[in-house]
Amino acid sequence: MVKPRYIFGEAWSIARSGARQTLLAIGLIALSLYVPALFALLSKNLGRLSTDAETPAAVITLDPAADGRGIARRLADDSRVREIRIVSSDAALARFRRAYPELGAALGDLKEAPFPPTIEVRMRPSAGPGAGTAVAAAARSWPGVEIAESEEEIGRRFSDGVRIVRAAGLALGGVLVLAAILSVASAIRLALDLHRDEIEIMRLMGATETAVRAPFWLHATGEGLAGGALALVLLYATYRLGLNYLARSPHPVLSMFWGSFLDWRAVTLMPLIGAAAGLFGSMISLTRRT
Amino acid sequence: MIQLFRVSKEYGRFRHALADVTCTIERGEFVFLTGPSGAGKSTFLKLLFRDEPPTSGQILVNGRNIGVLPPSQIPYFRRSVGVVFQDFKLIRRKSVFENIAFVQNVLGLSRAEQKRRAYQVLKRVGLHHQMNAYPDELSGGEQQRVAIARAIVNEPTLLLADEPTGNLDPVLSEEIMRLFLEINIRGTTVLVATHDFDLIRRMGKRVLSLDRGRLRDAPLRRDASPTAVREAPFLPLG
Repeated sequence: MVKPRYIFGEAWSIARSGARQTLLAIGLIALSLYVPALFALLSKNLGRLSTDAETPAAVITLDPAADGRGIARRLADDSRVREIRIVSSDAALARFRRAYPELGAALGDLKEAPFPPTIEVRMRPSAGPGAGTAVAAAARSWPGVEIAESEEEIGRRFSDGVRIVRAAGLALGGVLVLAAILSVASAIRLALDLHRDEIEIMRLMGATETAVRAPFWLHATGEGLAGGALALVLLYATYRLGLNYLARSPHPVLSMFWGSFLDWRAVTLMPLIGAAAGLFGSMISLTRRT
Repeated sequence: MIQLFRVSKEYGRFRHALADVTCTIERGEFVFLTGPSGAGKSTFLKLLFRDEPPTSGQILVNGRNIGVLPPSQIPYFRRSVGVVFQDFKLIRRKSVFENIAFVQNVLGLSRAEQKRRAYQVLKRVGLHHQMNAYPDELSGGEQQRVAIARAIVNEPTLLLADEPTGNLDPVLSEEIMRLFLEINIRGTTVLVATHDFDLIRRMGKRVLSLDRGRLRDAPLRRDASPTAVREAPFLPLG
């Protein structure tokens, strides 16, 4: 039975004796995890905008002086409509601040309300496709209505777009995680070359295969963990930089795409994926013959 | 202690490193293994600490057939055998103490116990004051003494040495041989592979001679000249 103290001591010793290789491996793993994580962040923010059951089928933008309740009553007369919700300018601003807490402050200094009052129309499931478009088309000619848009088509296209981004991120992520594993495997091979004589001596002195390999496994797992953590730090730095930029110069579209950071599960997962990549990379490079 | 019965070792089809070797080394014996370069001395030792398996034949060490030892058991077997190499095989990034205490460290012995054992063996080889030095800070003779200390720290019943004086001058060689004798007097079986005939003659111990992979027991007289040894080294024991 190999004692943990020995494994930790040797792993640390391996890391110190090849400090440059260790840093290089951490950098490569960080880079390999950073790119897919960036996709995950984009996908998450885009996903918040995509349609679901609660997404209105049509949004009627009102003239600030219009009789909102009157228009709402008229819309409610349509039997296909399930729900009507009047969203005032203040309510729209409050909603924006809830959804984008980091960007909401940037709108605080404005004297006028940045969002016009709207009416959100949700249809019954039995209404069928195209009902939202028909309601929006009818409402366009009503007095007090500035714009009436159906969200159905846009929502569908947007959902498709989000799905594509997610799939691309997943595919790229898979490739890059594989690259991370190979990077660790190469780094471990380098470390093995540096310590080949030692490994030979250790075996001759009666070290078991576990005693020879476990410190390398731990070393690589540590590299992966550090790489994952570094990728997380880089991602958060990118996110904060983006927020600062958007706070200084708000952008109507980009601001919506850059509203929140990854949730705690994804944040925990990144270093763990790095560690797993490190462990797997070291296992494929450390065989009995090495 | 050691019994070899019709042991052969081949590398490929045409290179016979050892051929049909049969011999016995008794417990507590001090034996020299000699022969010209390429005679099979190193292969003989490699088989004894199971660095390599024999192609055929049986090798018994302490009654155990090590030729059929499963790979998982080899490290444990090696811990019962001390090995000293010509090139010392010390780990450069580890101190003298760490080199010696390596196996104890793997086994999880307390640091205090590791230090106590390392100090004891280093005192036996006269290097207890160099416990924290690194191999590169030591002379060749000192490095070989550290290697010997490492080989005996587990109190092995068998000590194998492959050309242990090959890189040392005659004075240091003498010193190292004295150490082996001391170890042997304490009860450890010692087998030293060397082609230093002067050294063998001075020691007056039993000699196993190898020639092109074949073994003959040869008595080596103290008064034999090096030339005579080389010309007729394989006199059968009477």
